[in-house]
Amino acid sequence: MRRVTPDTIAVVDLAVCDRCGLCLPLCPPEAIHLESNVLTVDREQCTGCEKCVGPCPVGALAMVAHA
Amino acid sequence: MPDIDVLVVGAGPAGSVAAWQARQAAPELDVVLLERDRAVGAPVRCAEGVGDAGLREFASPEGTDWAARKITRVIFLAPDGTEVKVAERNVGWVLDRTRFDAHLAAEARAAGAEVLVATEATGMSRNGDGRWHVRVKSGGIEETWRARVVIGADGVETMVGRWAGLDTRVPSRDMESCAQYVLQGIACDPDAIYLQFGDAIAPGGYAWIFPKGIGVANVGLGLVALKTNGRNARQYLDDWIDRRYPGAARTGYTVGGVIVHTTIKQTFTDGVLIAGDAAHMINPLSGGGIVNAMKAGRLAGCVAASAIREGDTGARRLSAYHHSWMDLLGDDHLKYYKIKQALEDLDDSFFNGLARTVNKIPEGKRSLGRIFTHALIKHPQLIPIAAKFFV
Repeated sequence: MRRVTPDTIAVVDLAVCDRCGLCLPLCPPEAIHLESNVLTVDREQCTGCEKCVGPCPVGALAMVAHA
Repeated sequence: MPDIDVLVVGAGPAGSVAAWQARQAAPELDVVLLERDRAVGAPVRCAEGVGDAGLREFASPEGTDWAARKITRVIFLAPDGTEVKVAERNVGWVLDRTRFDAHLAAEARAAGAEVLVATEATGMSRNGDGRWHVRVKSGGIEETWRARVVIGADGVETMVGRWAGLDTRVPSRDMESCAQYVLQGIACDPDAIYLQFGDAIAPGGYAWIFPKGIGVANVGLGLVALKTNGRNARQYLDDWIDRRYPGAARTGYTVGGVIVHTTIKQTFTDGVLIAGDAAHMINPLSGGGIVNAMKAGRLAGCVAASAIREGDTGARRLSAYHHSWMDLLGDDHLKYYKIKQALEDLDDSFFNGLARTVNKIPEGKRSLGRIFTHALIKHPQLIPIAAKFFV
């Protein structure tokens, strides 16, 4: 199956992120990771579904064009 | 390579009780409890309210430094501001979670478990020797530990479950986004918790005031993001506090997610048990999870201990944990979840109507039992609203 590259992917603003972990179980492909107190979104795994963006209680996640 | 019997990941209420109970059930076992953060109990991501009876199964609150307030009243606030006061002798407690979690970790230590802070599990795999090989990082050094049973009590992010191949994902509609301030200098009944409902205040959830002392309270809210128009939990909370407590000092702030779902379909696999928030063991109506986590931790610790003694830590043996949990509370949560879904269709006018109905019961006779009976007759769908905090 061909992997479809999404038009946009999620990115985290670490200056805003509170490391609460809420977004991790919301991510269908499990592309969000939290290790050593740093949240990362794996840009190869992210499908651009946006499910993590709205629920972030501090608005730290946003969609950007997939470069 | 360190070789241990039970590795518990996460020193919240589920993990500490699991380590404590595993060691108590089988004192010959090596039990290690890992906490990623530098202190057990911090940061607090919790409103800190807990029911009296459930708490007492694990600890007596009188005279301790970890019980901040005894609560004897619940005040429900309808969307239009109608107050419904319910007095009960032993409603519950507002805890000091930093101290309470440390107390539970100390119980685990007293039972003989090792407690390690600032120590993070970063991954694990099964290598054919019947053990989990867990990567453990501390002070920048990563080593691999072998464990017979890993108990994942790692909260909402639930990495242990993910590593073990269990499905711990949550649909967006079942995730409450929460924000909370500690407010000082506010006027509120220090013996009561307040639960405020309303689509404009906390769509799909509720706002709360949980006192921690005279004039000091945790003031927060949880909402379902799908029901908002792009504003986040902090923005909703700021709006509400600006209206209700414009002069208050905001001396603390926290955010977090509460999974208002049902228990994950499978809480176990070969050599792994998942407990507490990580297994979605929160009451989906109230969002309360502390007592549930402790009860699950107790089951997980005891099942892990007896499985190791019997020399069988396979999935089939460990499934006893899942069945015990479902019998204890998990099956009830399936019912509460259905009620939650029914309530999602009701609008503010319905809650306003219920508040007025219940207020016709004289306050002295307004026990929760009477409210249930009354509500059952008038609005059968709404009984669980009042039960939210207690079940």
